[in-house]
Amino acid sequence: MKRTGFLYDERFRNHVTGPYHPEVPERLTAIYQGIEQKGLLEHLTIIPAQPAARMWIELVHDKDYVDRFEAACRDGQTTFDSPDNQMGPETYQTALLAVGGILETIDRIIAGEIDNAFCAVRPPGHHAERSKAMGFCYFNNAAIAAAYLQTQWFLQRVAIIDIDVHHGNGTQHIFEEDATVFYYSIHQHPSFAYPGTGRAFEGGEKRGAGYTCNSTVLPGQGDAFYKEAIARDLVTAMQRFRPEFIIVSVGFDAHVDDDMSDVALSTEGYSWLMEQLVEISRRHADGKLISILEGGYDLPRLPELAGNHVQILLND
Amino acid sequence: MFVSKSMTQKVITVHPATSVIEARDLLKKHRIRHLPVVENGGFLVGIITDRDIRSALPATFYDKTGTHPEAGESAAIKVGDVMTTNPHTVSPEDTIEDALLQIQTMRVGAFPVVDRQGRLQGLLSVRDLLRAFISVLGIEEPGTLLGILVEEKLGQMKIIVDAITEENISFGSILVSRHWESNMRAVFPYLLTNNVSRVKKKLAGLGFKILDPMEWTMDRLPKHD
Repeated sequence: MKRTGFLYDERFRNHVTGPYHPEVPERLTAIYQGIEQKGLLEHLTIIPAQPAARMWIELVHDKDYVDRFEAACRDGQTTFDSPDNQMGPETYQTALLAVGGILETIDRIIAGEIDNAFCAVRPPGHHAERSKAMGFCYFNNAAIAAAYLQTQWFLQRVAIIDIDVHHGNGTQHIFEEDATVFYYSIHQHPSFAYPGTGRAFEGGEKRGAGYTCNSTVLPGQGDAFYKEAIARDLVTAMQRFRPEFIIVSVGFDAHVDDDMSDVALSTEGYSWLMEQLVEISRRHADGKLISILEGGYDLPRLPELAGNHVQILLND
Repeated sequence: MFVSKSMTQKVITVHPATSVIEARDLLKKHRIRHLPVVENGGFLVGIITDRDIRSALPATFYDKTGTHPEAGESAAIKVGDVMTTNPHTVSPEDTIEDALLQIQTMRVGAFPVVDRQGRLQGLLSVRDLLRAFISVLGIEEPGTLLGILVEEKLGQMKIIVDAITEENISFGSILVSRHWESNMRAVFPYLLTNNVSRVKKKLAGLGFKILDPMEWTMDRLPKHD
């Protein structure tokens, strides 16, 4: 059994999105219960969160943006940058905590205390652009994690693998000219899903050309297509890139029961997918993998998906 | 909207060994400008355009037909000598939006459509894309386009749609341009009626600015060049 970390902090629930919003604190309850009921908690190293220093966030986000976010929260605004981004008085602090917890988790993996980890954080991050909050996201957790691995731990090649059903526009744009971070995303085809980017021909810019890869899934294509795309696009790309560390942006919203999408990935499909990512981390990165929660909104299905996710991280 | 539904399926093709003069005759006979080049049962190897052929032949030669005695060495030039190899392609499962975004930057007139194995399935030209766009705009049916300047805040569109619906007018389409001026957008409803004076007055009465048609432009998008 691997030594798997679990970043979980009750305070991640303090980001309150108001009524009629799918990205709710109850998602974390469902995830925690799923892991607990599967009897996995005792095998995990629980990691508490502490607020990140702003210098790490500013590796990825403009200082002005962080200031604006802090001020909006302090002034009691209920949305930030887009009507999708509903927030409450604790949102800024919660977003700092999420990043801080992730950086702590990375430190422990690099120090060899744990092998891999699942970070059940809120708010999510992959839509957040350098200077714009979008799609329920404020700080781009995965992008900050990659920039931290480069800056603090001098890693040369970091892969971000995004399996949320929506394209991680923020993550892609932050690294699209960077050949040292490979961004792969598999998501519902942008003609049929938010945010409308992540088309198959988007493959990185300038020096980063060839270091971004998007697999687009049409509505209803399901498990079989995921298997084909992962083998064709991701496995081959990772063989060429040879990442030293894998960051997974994990969204559970591609599941057939999740009404945020139509790609119809099954529970078994999710397990298969995660096994591939763990295998990729074993083959190239000495097993070093951190998965960071993005979307996933079907509360009845989340416990099972999160339980399986952690089980696969623990398996040898 | 998928490429497979909008592409031209019956495509005239040539082989790399076809003479350029024969390719020229095909273009003229069918009044087309692109010939995908295939071999071995339909695998795409290139594309040749009227411009490639004009460059390959003596200037006076393109407009003649058949092989002339003065053709000389030109008759020996093969399609494979002057075609574009590895042309940019799209797949039948790509969407029209995928193709529109790419054709805007690639400076080509058509994309060969190929399946995963590389077999030619069709041709998607600028003309095919325009046809798809015309169908989305609904402008093949008679109607009138309005331009309305709208403040960027929640609920404005509902007021416009309600006002038009109350007049018993059907919509062909509605376009929204978000690149107008700050905090404003331009809404362009295409209304399937000839009689818009009443609804224009009504909208003006609701406080919307009806745009002067001479100021309409859909071209305020940031330009790439």
